[in-house]
Amino acid sequence: MRNLLHDMNPAIKFITVTIAMLGLAFFFNPWTPLLFFFSILVLQLVFSRINWKLWSLFMLPFVIGAFGYLWTTIVFGAETGGTVIWSPFGYDMTDEQLALALSLSFRVLAFSSLSLLFALTTDPVKFVMSLMQQLKLSPKLAYGVLVGYQFLPVLKDEFFQIQQAHRLRGAAVEKSWWQRALGVRRVIIPMLAGAVRKAERSAFAMEARGFTGEPRTEFYRPVQIGKLDFVMSLVVLALFLGSCVCGMLLSG
Amino acid sequence: MLKSWKLKEIVLMSLFGVVFGIVYLLFIHLGNIWAGLIGPIAYEWMFGIWFIVSIICMHIIRKPGAALIPETMAAIIEVMLGNAVGPRLILSGIVQGLGAEAAFAVTRYRHFNIFVFMLAGIGAAVFSFIYGYFVSGYAALDPSFVALMFTLRVLSGAIIAGIGGKYIGDALLATGSLRGYAIARTQPRDANA
Repeated sequence: MRNLLHDMNPAIKFITVTIAMLGLAFFFNPWTPLLFFFSILVLQLVFSRINWKLWSLFMLPFVIGAFGYLWTTIVFGAETGGTVIWSPFGYDMTDEQLALALSLSFRVLAFSSLSLLFALTTDPVKFVMSLMQQLKLSPKLAYGVLVGYQFLPVLKDEFFQIQQAHRLRGAAVEKSWWQRALGVRRVIIPMLAGAVRKAERSAFAMEARGFTGEPRTEFYRPVQIGKLDFVMSLVVLALFLGSCVCGMLLSG
Repeated sequence: MLKSWKLKEIVLMSLFGVVFGIVYLLFIHLGNIWAGLIGPIAYEWMFGIWFIVSIICMHIIRKPGAALIPETMAAIIEVMLGNAVGPRLILSGIVQGLGAEAAFAVTRYRHFNIFVFMLAGIGAAVFSFIYGYFVSGYAALDPSFVALMFTLRVLSGAIIAGIGGKYIGDALLATGSLRGYAIARTQPRDANA
């Protein structure tokens, strides 16, 4: 039961989440995104075993961002009419403006929770495999992406090595965080030059082992697709439709 | 379309996608903290950063698709790394890549100078703004504020992505590691190389 979201086919999950997100963009009332946000939370509580500490850590910057949406939409919002409910500093805020602003910020929250539903329950490698097997992504591109992904730890080590080499030669003395941020400029060129060489070597190695990148129908590790995947997808979409209908009713 | 591609070019785009995927994610988080203070306009002036991999890869490889594919790959890698913007990043990656690709397609993949790169940055900015207008609900904002956001994004696309992308590509060429790619064939050979 609590494995259902983790076991769901990644390509189906991807399509479902994308449809729900694009659908959400049509609604400008505050209730629809809010209700959907909570229904996604419930869904995760019931059908997944995600790390809620990690979830909060990911969510936090977007809560801050949502707050920015809230006040800019109030101050720089389009003319909407409605009745004035609060006038701080001689600025008139109407009820419709507030509803619109709340809607946009709840939309940020709903988007983020939906994304985390995907991110925290999906294995990255299985996701690319599923893109290749179910959505017919070219194997050349799919394995290309996987090669890049596998190089991630190597690139991380290289980043620190280059930085240390610079420091050893006294090229960069970084004190504050913004100096360090600007210092990335000096690191990126050697990183990319290294990436070019790695790309050449690994492409050569892949071809030497008979990788042609031709489309194929049989796979070493097939990613399954079953009835349950469609059921889960329908559950998410039903929750979305439910939030839409309830949101429309609640906002009159 | 993929038939004419060498595997090393695809792996190159993927590795650049990894490097820039990390850079992109860093800037999304930086942007979020900014956005809490000054709202969605915080992203606009630095939006060009998110288009840069298209321009660098097109500068190096010069084939149809060399702007769209790396941007999409970078987006897939961002999703693989895990973040709270999520799967829709792939959609925005495709949209931005198509915008940059459009500029190169209009010039028929023949000219690769600073103006075309800036045009590509602008193309990516325009495409991504139209998409963002829909997804982020900019329709709710005052038209003059939206116009300001749009201007900032276009400028950022032209300057950061266009000029910055060409600068990084040229700097990479100077390191001598790009000898097997289209970029090296069009430049006069350095006697010392």
